[in-house]
Parts: sequence; C-alpha cells; structure tokens
Amino acid sequence: MKLTDLFGLALSRLGTGKLRTGLTMLGVIIGVASVVALVSIGEGATSGINSRLQGLGTNLLSVTPGATTTGATRGAFGSATTLTIEDATALTTQPDIAGVAPELSSSHLIVAGSLNETTTVIGTTPAYPLVFAYDMWQGSFLTQASVDHGLRVAVLGNTTATNLGLGASSVGSTVYISGLPFDVVGIMQPKGGTGFVSPDDEVLIPVTTARNLFVGTDSVRAIGVSVTSSRQMTAATAEITTALDQRHGIGASGTPDFTITSQTQLLSTVGSITTLLTVLLAGIASISLLVGGIGIMNIMLVSVRERTHEIGIRKAIGARGRDVLLQFLFEALMISVSGGLIGIVIGLAATAVIALFAGWAFAFNPITVVVSVVFSLIIGVIFGVWPASQAARLDPVVALSYE
Amino acid sequence: MSDPIIHLENVSRIYDTGKVQVPALVDVDLSIARGEFVAIIGPSGSGKSTMMHILGCLDRPTAGRYVLDGTPVDELNDDALAALRSRSIGFVFQSYNLLPRTSALENVATPLAYQGVSRRERVARAQAALERLGLGDRMRHEPTELSGGQQQRVGIARALVTEPAILLADEPTGNLDSRAGNEVIGIFHELHAAGRTIVLITHDPDVAAVADRQVHIRDGRIAA
Repeated sequence: MKLTDLFGLALSRLGTGKLRTGLTMLGVIIGVASVVALVSIGEGATSGINSRLQGLGTNLLSVTPGATTTGATRGAFGSATTLTIEDATALTTQPDIAGVAPELSSSHLIVAGSLNETTTVIGTTPAYPLVFAYDMWQGSFLTQASVDHGLRVAVLGNTTATNLGLGASSVGSTVYISGLPFDVVGIMQPKGGTGFVSPDDEVLIPVTTARNLFVGTDSVRAIGVSVTSSRQMTAATAEITTALDQRHGIGASGTPDFTITSQTQLLSTVGSITTLLTVLLAGIASISLLVGGIGIMNIMLVSVRERTHEIGIRKAIGARGRDVLLQFLFEALMISVSGGLIGIVIGLAATAVIALFAGWAFAFNPITVVVSVVFSLIIGVIFGVWPASQAARLDPVVALSYE
Repeated sequence: MSDPIIHLENVSRIYDTGKVQVPALVDVDLSIARGEFVAIIGPSGSGKSTMMHILGCLDRPTAGRYVLDGTPVDELNDDALAALRSRSIGFVFQSYNLLPRTSALENVATPLAYQGVSRRERVARAQAALERLGLGDRMRHEPTELSGGQQQRVGIARALVTEPAILLADEPTGNLDSRAGNEVIGIFHELHAAGRTIVLITHDPDVAAVADRQVHIRDGRIAA
C-alpha cells in the first residue's frame, strides 16, 4: 500500500472513536504544553535577567555603608552614614576604576507647569551615565563645572519627563524641586528593564547642589563604581577596600564599615540558577510526556486486540505485514503529532499569558517548537511500533477466526 | 489436465498442539483446471476449513507440494505469500468479512490499494465491480446499512475487483436466506460461464450440486 493511502487510512480511523483518541491525545498535549511553557518561561526569565544585567551598567561595583554597631545592637544594613562624597572623590584616582558616581538621594515634589510628581532626586557626578549605563536623549548630562559650582541644573529620567509633560523641546525649561527652580539641561533615554522600581523615574542634580539644598550632610546612600574591564573586578575591589580602610582608619584586623557588592555577579548567579530550574522543570514535564507516550501504547495495544479480525481480513485481501505495521504506526504518530501541535499552541499561549503578568517580553523560540514536534514524533514511534508490530505479526488464519 | 491452476501433491497439514499432533489434512492430491467450478464438500471437522486456508495461501502445508498458478507456494515467505494472495485469490466468506465502518466502495477498493493501484483507478474499478453486481446505488453504504445478500454481493465484488486467478468461496450462502442464497449461486454460475475458476467450499450437498465437479473430503482425506 502507498504511504499516502496508509496515511489516509490512519486519518480516517482517528475520526471514529473521537473520545478515546482525544483522551489519548490529551496525555501528549499536557506533556508537550508543559515542556514548551516551562522552557519558554525559563527563557523569558533568563532574558529578563540578562537585560537587567546589561541595564545595570558595565562592570558595576556598588559600595554601600555598613551597618552601625552600637554596643551589642547591630543596626540595619546601610544604616551607617560612613560613606561620604569625599570617599567617592578619593576613589576616582584608583588605576582600575573608570568612573565613580556617588548617590545622594532624597524624595521631593517636582513641579513643571501645572503637572507635578513626587520622585527620587539623586545628587551625583558626571560619571553617572557611564557607571549606570544611561544614554542621553535630549540635551547633555551634568558637567563637572555644575558639580564644582553647585549649580541648580537637573537631568530628568525619561519616565519623569513624560509624567511632567516635558518632551524633546523642554531642555532649557524650568522645574521646581521642593519649590526651588532648576534648569532642565537634559532628558535621558528610557532604559526599560524590569522590576518594581523604574530606573527611568528619577531626577539627577549635581551632588554638591543636593548636599547644600536638600540633604545637608556628606553621607551618600551608595557609590557606584565602574571598573575598567571585567577582568579587573577583583583588583578594583581590593583598591576600593584599601583606599576606604585607609580613609576610615580601619586596620588589617578591623571590620570595614562599608560593603562592596558586584550586582553583575549576583544577577549572573541568579541567571544560572534560573537556567538550572528551567532544565529541572522541563525534565519533570518530560515525565508527563513519557506518561502520555505510555497512554498511546496502551490504547494502541487495545486497538490491535479489538481489531484482530479486521487485521485478518486485511491480510486475506492482500495486506503484507509491512502494510499493517505502518497502518498502526501512522495511527500512533497521528495521535502523538497532533497532540504535540495542540500542546505547542497551548504551551505558547500559557507562556504569553504568564509573560504578560510577569512583565517579560514574550520569548518565542522556534527551536522549542521544532524540538517538541520531533520529540512527539519520536514518542509516537517508540510507543507505537511495538503494538503495530504485534498487529503485523498476527497469523492471518488465527486473526480471521478471532471474534 | 495440461495446465492446472491449482495443483496439490501429497499435501498434509498437521497441527502441533505441543502434546499431540492433530492431522487436519493427510496426503491430499488435487488438481483444478483453469475455468473449472469445483465444490469441496465435507461435514464440519472434515478438514475443509484447513483446505480453504491452504488453497487460499493463508496457511502453508506441513508437507507436500502446492503450486498455485505456476507459483510453488511452500517456498514463499510471508510477504511473498501476501503478494500472491493479493494477485491470485479472491475470497468470499460465509460471514462476508467486510471492513467495519467502511463504505461498500472503500471495501471493494481496498484490495487494489494493497496492490499499489492509484486512487482514481481504484475507485473506477470498484465502481465497475459494484455496478456489475447490481449495487450501483449502494456504494456509499456501510456494511451495517446493507442486507446480508447485499453484503455478500459487496464481498463478491471485492473478491473480483483484482481479477484473481481463482475465486475461493467458503460457505458463501451459509448466512443467507434461500432467496439471497440462490442469488449468490446464480452469480457464481454467471462468473463460471464467463470463464472464471471457482472453488466453493461447503457442507451442503445442494449448494455443491451447482458445481461441475465435487470433491468429497472426510477425516482430512479426499474420498473417492
């Protein structure tokens, strides 16, 4: 029999006994859908983490104040006010450090025309865009001169500018920060990224201006440090430790009053854990695919038994063993592949819904689809070939007299 | 008989049940000429079913020689045997043995599909075969929608569609009332008149009487 005829035979068979075929297919559908969904979700999470990694800025080290210790009571992390603007200035001279951006932050009401918003105002230096990987959209960033003279100039994050109704032509206009007028010198490109705090909702002013007008002290919330290359991260960490230990008078055996964290490393660790989890979940999902395959084998064995007489008739009227084998194998393949295709659609739909809620970009990976189709084909062959060969080996005389 | 279409020489078929050996056919010699209408007649248990299986190439003799249409059957493997069945034998069964949930047209076309005939030609030939048997208006019906006589005529159409060397009928009237049975016998007469070789297996002497020649089988042996 020609392959197209056998294919048509298998197809017409699926139409009879729809409930049974559907239930058998369901096993494959659930298996493939869960593999596709879990792999896609894992990829979405990983790509989210990667985009955050890039968004953080290249080779970023964060220096934060340590906890205060009063007697036996250890205060909250970062509660010490030991890091100062001068510390930040001192770090700029280190050989492996490309840029230093202190963050002196406070929250203020910003007014532009009739619109207003309360957001974070960060006092910093011209190195900020380098360290935290921002690009300018309009105008320019804060200059060293504006820091030196404590000028009232401001650069707006993209979201902040939008919220205040400021656009491309707004460079040179005036905003009021807690009632004090500031000239807008630039608006930054949106960085996007994920998380609950938008990196685009902030106002940047010279660090000196922030100290003089809003904060009143030299203590910074954090110092962002950009290292010259990723290979120098360890060297730069050592340089920062030495410089700050010296400035704060901490000996070799003393406890430092600051913490250096590499968020890049932290996030890449999180990324590798996510990958591991994806593989693990996909592995568990594969087990359900295996169960689906066993379901196919089960139903095919029942089918061979039920249709023994039909097999006898077919052999009497000229079917070879191969014809019978392929007929049953195609039926198994039809179930597994159509189940696989439906499973892919459901899996991708589930991914899209989850991506929507999690705020990820929906990552459609054609490789996942191809692998799923191939995998369901293989499942069909593995679990279909044994029942089919049982059918093919039936003795025509025995099969004909079977009722 | 210079050119027998069926030639059996010392054919035996012994079933080995493990403990005992049951001889179903013993030393059978039989020749059937092209165009003959032969009835093989015997009571149940006489070995006529085994005879049908051997003649129809569904089973092989344990000993002896069987030549069908010039092909020695005992040398063939399963696939070659299936090909020989497909080419040379048209079966008509007592219980019709039509494929369930399959239209009359598809039933008749199926043997051609196993020969690798194209779909267009299959349908044309199946239609012609059904029309010849007066079933032109029943082609789309499934077996359960047909009467016994109609089902048997579909079965005969299916047996004839491949133009086989022999038509092998096993109790073809066994499940039919006398009117439908006579109809089927009438069809066999016409086919015989048209030159077709027919082997009819039955227990009923009245049915066997329609054939040219009767071969009596008893206890696995051909009775004189």
